[in-house]
Amino acid sequence: MRLLVVHLFYAARSAIRGLWASPVTTGVALVTIAVSLVLVGAFGLLVTNMQGLLDRVGEDLRVTAYLEEGISDEDLKRLALLTQTVEGVASVETISKDDALRIFDERLGGRSGLLEGLEYNPLPASLEITLVESQRSVGGLRVVVESLDGLPGIEELSYGEEWVEGYARALSMIRGLGVGVACVLALATLLIVGNTIKLAVYARRDEIEILGLVGASRSFVRIPFLLEGFTQGTLAALMALGLLYILYRILTPSLAAGIELLMGHASPAFFSPFQMFLLVASGAFVGALGSAAAFVEGGRR
Amino acid sequence: MRREPPVTDPFVRMYHVSKSYMAGTFALHDVSLEVDRGEFVFLTGPSGAGKTTLLKLLFAAERPSEGQIILRGRNITRLREYGIPALRRRIGVVFQDFKLLGHRSVEENVGMALEVRGTPPREIRSRVFRVLKQVGLQHRRYHRAEALSGGEQQRVALARALVNDPELLLADEPTGNLDPELTLEIMDLIASAGARGTTVVVATHDLSLIDRYAKRTLHLEAGCVKRDAGAAAISA
Repeated sequence: MRLLVVHLFYAARSAIRGLWASPVTTGVALVTIAVSLVLVGAFGLLVTNMQGLLDRVGEDLRVTAYLEEGISDEDLKRLALLTQTVEGVASVETISKDDALRIFDERLGGRSGLLEGLEYNPLPASLEITLVESQRSVGGLRVVVESLDGLPGIEELSYGEEWVEGYARALSMIRGLGVGVACVLALATLLIVGNTIKLAVYARRDEIEILGLVGASRSFVRIPFLLEGFTQGTLAALMALGLLYILYRILTPSLAAGIELLMGHASPAFFSPFQMFLLVASGAFVGALGSAAAFVEGGRR
Repeated sequence: MRREPPVTDPFVRMYHVSKSYMAGTFALHDVSLEVDRGEFVFLTGPSGAGKTTLLKLLFAAERPSEGQIILRGRNITRLREYGIPALRRRIGVVFQDFKLLGHRSVEENVGMALEVRGTPPREIRSRVFRVLKQVGLQHRRYHRAEALSGGEQQRVALARALVNDPELLLADEPTGNLDPELTLEIMDLIASAGARGTTVVVATHDLSLIDRYAKRTLHLEAGCVKRDAGAAAISA
C-alpha cells in the first residue's frame, strides 16, 4: 500500500513536471483536443435535443382510425371494444359522424356558415386511440398501427406518419453522421495525444534511460506518461465543455427562429450532468489511450 | 521462497558466454570467468575489446547470444523482462558520461535510485544525505547537477550507484573524462566501496590505475579474455 502511494506520488509529480516542461506543446495539444471535443459535443447536443423532441412528440402520439361509411352504431361499439384489446392501446374514444361534424363546426368558429350548404355529413366516424406509455415511440406506434390495420370497419389509419418518420430518419442520419465525426475526431485526438507524448518521451529519453538503469519497472516509467495523457484529455474535455456552454448561451437566443422551426415550442437543453461526465470521461480515456499507443508504437521499434 | 546462495559461491559466474551483434562477428567470444563476493576486478583492453559489452551483460542491458551468466546464484540469462528491474536494484552502475539529469538537483539525481524502490521521501532525503557525505558533496545537494564540475558530477553518479548499498558495483571507464587528480579521487571512492564488501568490476584503459590499486585484472582482446592476472601477480 505504502509502495503504491509512493509510486502514485512520484507518477503525479512526474506528470505535472512533464506538462510544465513544454508548455507550448502542452497548450497546442490541449486546444486541438478541445476543438475536436467541441465538434463532437456539438453533434451530441444536436442529437440529444432532436431525440428529446421526438420523445416529446411520442408522448402526444395518437392514432385516428377513420371508419367505413355507413357503419352501424352497434358495429362501431364492437369495433371500439375490439380496438381496446389490441396490445399497446391505452384508451379508445368513439367519435360518431355527428360528433365529427360538431367538432368541425366548433373549430370553424365564426366561419361555421360554410357548413350550411351541406346536403349530407361528409365526415366519417372515427376512433381516437391513445397509446400506453411504453408504446409512445415511432417504433411502438408502428406496432400498434400494424395490429389495427385490416380490422373490419376501419377505412384508414392516420398518425402523422410522414412527419414522424421523416424526423426520425433525419435524426438517425444526424446520429450516424455524429458517430462518424466522433470516430474521426477521436482518432485525430489519439494521434495528437500520441504525438505529444512521443515528443515528451523523446524529450525525457535520458531520464527514462536512467530510470531503467537504476531499476525502475516498466509501469513506473510509463504511468507518469499515461497520467499526462489522461490529464491532457480531461483538461481539454473540461475546456470543450466550457466552450460548448458559452456557445450554447450565446447562440441559443440568436438562433431562436431556426430552433423553433426545428423543435417547435420546445426549448433546447444543454447536456445533463451524466452526459457532461461522459464527455469528460471520453476525453480522459482518449488521452490515456493516446499515450498508451505512443508507448506501444515506441516499443515496437 | 528462493534460497540465498552460500556466501562461499562465486558472486558472478560466466560460462562460455558469447555476444554477437552481427552474424559472424563477436563482441565477446566464449568468455568463462568467476568473480568472488567482495572481489575487486579491473577489466582492461583496447577499445572494442568487449569491456562494455561484458558489463552490459552483467546488468542485463544486453542478453548473451550463447552461454550462461549466474549472478548471486541466479541465472540471469533466463531472466524475464519484468525481472530485470529487481536485478538492477541490487547493482550500482557508473558510466564515463555520468548519465545525470543536468536540470535536476544533486539530491534528486541520487534519490532516483531510491524512488524506483518506493522509498518514502523522508527516508530518501536522509539516505541521500548520508551517501553524499560519503562522497563529500553533502553541501551541494540542492545544486543543479549541470552546475557541478566533471569530478563532482562523477561523484554524484557514484553516490547514485551506492545509495542502495548494492552488492555489485559496475563502472565503465568511470574516470575516462577526468583529469589525473580527480581520477584518483573517484577511484579511491570506488575502492572504499569495495573495501566495505561490495563486489566491484571496473572497466578501464588506464594502466596506471591497475598498477596503483593492484587488483585482479582481466585483459580482454577481440572479445576474449587473454589474461587473468591476480592481485598478487599485478603487485609483483
